[in-house]
Amino acid sequence: MTIRLLPEAIVNRIAAGEVIERPASVVKELVENAIDAGARRIEIVLANGGHNLISVTDDGTGMTETELALSIERHATSKLTDDSLQQIATLGFRGEALPSIGAAGRLTITSRTRNAASAFSISVEGSRKSEVMPASHPVGTRVELRDLFFATPARLKFLKTPQTELHHAVDVVRRLAMAHPETAFQLSDEKRSVLQLHANQGELFDTRAERLAQILGREFTENALPIHAAREGMTLSGYAGLPTFNRANARMQYFFVNGRPVRDALFHGAVRAAYQDLLARDRHPVLALFLEIPPERVDVNVHPAKAEVRFREAGLVRGLFVGALRHALHEAGHRAASTVSQVALGAFRPETPPVMTEGHAPACALNERAPAYRPRLPGTEAPHARPEAAGEDVGEATTDHPLGAARAQLHETYIVAQTEDGIVFVDQHAAHERIVLERMLEGLQANNVARQILLIPEVVEMTEAKAARVLERADELAELGLIVESFGPGAVAVREVPAILGDVNPQGLIQDLADDLEEFEDGASLRDRLNHVAATMACHGSVRAGRRLTADEMNALLRQMETTPHAGQCNHGRPTYVELKLQDIERLFGRR
Amino acid sequence: MKFTIERTALLKSLGHVQRVVERRTTIPILSNVLLSAEKGGLSLTATDMELSVVETLPADIGAKGQATAPAHTLYDIVRKLPEGAQIAFDYDAESARLGLSAGRSRFALSTLPVEEFPALSGDQFSHSFTLEAASLRNLIEHTSFAISVEETRYYLNGIFLHATENGSADVLRAVATDGHRLAQVEMPLPEGATGMPGVILPRKAVLELGKLMEEMSDPVEVGLSETRVRFTTADAILTSKLIDGTFPDYGRVIPTKNDKMLVVNRREFAEAVDRVSTISIEKSRAVKLGLAPGKLLLSASSEESGTASEELAVKYDAEPIEIGFNARYLLDIAQQIEGEDIELMLADASSPTLLRDLAEGSALYVLMPMRV
Repeated sequence: MTIRLLPEAIVNRIAAGEVIERPASVVKELVENAIDAGARRIEIVLANGGHNLISVTDDGTGMTETELALSIERHATSKLTDDSLQQIATLGFRGEALPSIGAAGRLTITSRTRNAASAFSISVEGSRKSEVMPASHPVGTRVELRDLFFATPARLKFLKTPQTELHHAVDVVRRLAMAHPETAFQLSDEKRSVLQLHANQGELFDTRAERLAQILGREFTENALPIHAAREGMTLSGYAGLPTFNRANARMQYFFVNGRPVRDALFHGAVRAAYQDLLARDRHPVLALFLEIPPERVDVNVHPAKAEVRFREAGLVRGLFVGALRHALHEAGHRAASTVSQVALGAFRPETPPVMTEGHAPACALNERAPAYRPRLPGTEAPHARPEAAGEDVGEATTDHPLGAARAQLHETYIVAQTEDGIVFVDQHAAHERIVLERMLEGLQANNVARQILLIPEVVEMTEAKAARVLERADELAELGLIVESFGPGAVAVREVPAILGDVNPQGLIQDLADDLEEFEDGASLRDRLNHVAATMACHGSVRAGRRLTADEMNALLRQMETTPHAGQCNHGRPTYVELKLQDIERLFGRR
Repeated sequence: MKFTIERTALLKSLGHVQRVVERRTTIPILSNVLLSAEKGGLSLTATDMELSVVETLPADIGAKGQATAPAHTLYDIVRKLPEGAQIAFDYDAESARLGLSAGRSRFALSTLPVEEFPALSGDQFSHSFTLEAASLRNLIEHTSFAISVEETRYYLNGIFLHATENGSADVLRAVATDGHRLAQVEMPLPEGATGMPGVILPRKAVLELGKLMEEMSDPVEVGLSETRVRFTTADAILTSKLIDGTFPDYGRVIPTKNDKMLVVNRREFAEAVDRVSTISIEKSRAVKLGLAPGKLLLSASSEESGTASEELAVKYDAEPIEIGFNARYLLDIAQQIEGEDIELMLADASSPTLLRDLAEGSALYVLMPMRV
């Protein structure tokens, strides 16, 4: 077989395979183009999950007649002005999207610039270009793609149901929309509008909050902490969910670099590190974080669809993430998610739902049973409350403290406190455990972790890449009491281990660490083990459920919670207290 | 099978063998002890497939035979019978129950077929030699504390017993380490042990052997092969598999050039370490030793509890040095020392320290410092 140059149609089809995987990829490329063209309003229509038609219409700058003809040539772009890949400020730059899309289906582009007398249109069908022809269109660009993959039937077979493909497209648009709150987005299928996001005007931070609330739900913004941090020319902003507002997977974590949605293990690792010991390992916080970084310090040209990026100083970026999140979480102190009390309220429903007549407050219906009342069985007592304690405390100003004044202890496990505008229930064991743990960790850090030197340094063999990764973090590990050094290529010698781990196998510890570093770029397993020891000690050293507390003890606990960082959740991310606002209680009784 | 036996003797032997039996096992027969009534008396056998103990004790044999019975139940019954009781055993093959009666108490224990009981292979031992009970006790007693309990480094979960040379003398040496400290005890090489393979005695065997040796004064015969070890005393045989692994080259961690010598009274030292370490963080138990000519300042501190210090008058005339240790490790070693004084040979705050009993030269301990 002789070597020959492939015809352009085939080249385009191969390139299309990389960029155009499914309708959602087309949507991504086209919407990115629209954003890069400065559009304020973008309309997306998908028919039959994008299979029959994908159309993206924007009100951006548009293209002239000549530009239009060039746009569908491979490696033609308006986005690289000085032939340098160092300064990429736009979402696109490869000049591959339109030709690739043209190779995958029947493409028509209609565009008009502000100064042009009329619009022009061009169409491509399986890489065959038509002439540029005058057309009618307002300022902006409209790209229509019909019969996706008609030229590559193999791809066609891999398409999922229209519903699934639509779902993917919606996900793509949601991600892009999060980063561009100033642009209105509308996505519809044949019948209805699936996603409708208005342009949010005003100051950047507020518009973003509004957009995030539209996309992720009001619940998120209410239970999230604003993040804002800058370091060495980089800025990180966005919102991070409270630890008690968590999910079973990391899918609700959105990361953006210079307005570009990316998925990168680095970010997930940093988040995990920041939320460590606030969340169980199998729970994940919800967050949307936006990193602004000078374009020359990040390489976006790694992945054809640009889902991954490379940072010149990955450690610095990671540090910024962990630092900013930690700081915000620390500031949040004892805040627990309001969803927790929503759940609690849900459980509070009276046994017979009150008969709601329209416009009426639930008046005492005559036929309603009194479900809350049950005759007391002989020999049982009402829950143990402490009337004497309550009596003493009535005078105390409850308004001074966020967690209020302790009123009673129920079942020797829960503290009931009265605040200015509600009630707080505290799980005494969980709360005290957290306080003891925080104190212990503080002590560990203040004292430096005591390190036991090994009699025989343990040599651990692993791949060279893993070893290098462990050694890169040697300083960080040293702070946690683990001293490692290089032992030739592909081997690490462990010289000292944290003393509180006792008789530990350094081999296993290092292997776990190396795996963690590989996957999450974060040595969570070491800190995990240290925290586990500390947590076990904390558990034994704290007030258990079932112990009667005096009013003074209860109040002391509440005051400590207010001053302890992360006191809103126990070591596993469960809440330590639930607050019910007076209005919620009033709602329960139908007073509102 | 039928026999009568005195409670006290049976209790003692049962006490030994039932310890071998694991509380939870997936093989039912391993929960049982094998009773064999023979001409010479009664023998009890228990095994966990790795370790087996056979004890023989005098009994009044009515009819020879064998039976198996749940070890822990049998032990509990015998323990609860009144002192001095005569216990009569009677195995009824038809109902497969072991009858047991003493005074007015009657028990009928369910049994498992004798054939199911694992037969112990009659191994050939390549080396055998005899040790005085006291010497054997000395070897294991002073090393067993340093055995690692961390299971993934299985080769450290036992005592390394091997023949070697110390200067010009041939010695039998026992070494145990958990990677933080090391204990080594040696004795003149007994006849017959020359050329023996280096073996690792598993921790469980070491502990059971220790129990067996407790009130024993008779010599013990040791049989060794590459995979098994057998200790035979007048009325007990303990057989164990050996740990199949390579013990690390411990010789290179025993310091030879430590030049700072500290001699301290063992009791004073142990008590002071114990007192001072009350303050240090649980688990890590760090104490600091500050040495200056003639005195030792022990100190500990923790963020939570505060600080503690205690000064001891000691023999020390090298340059001042400060070094941290795990208090528990120090106390463990101090407990091994039988003489009045401990000798510590130090180099610096990050190198191994050598500890010895001044009165008795056969044992030495190496302890790695801690950075605090």
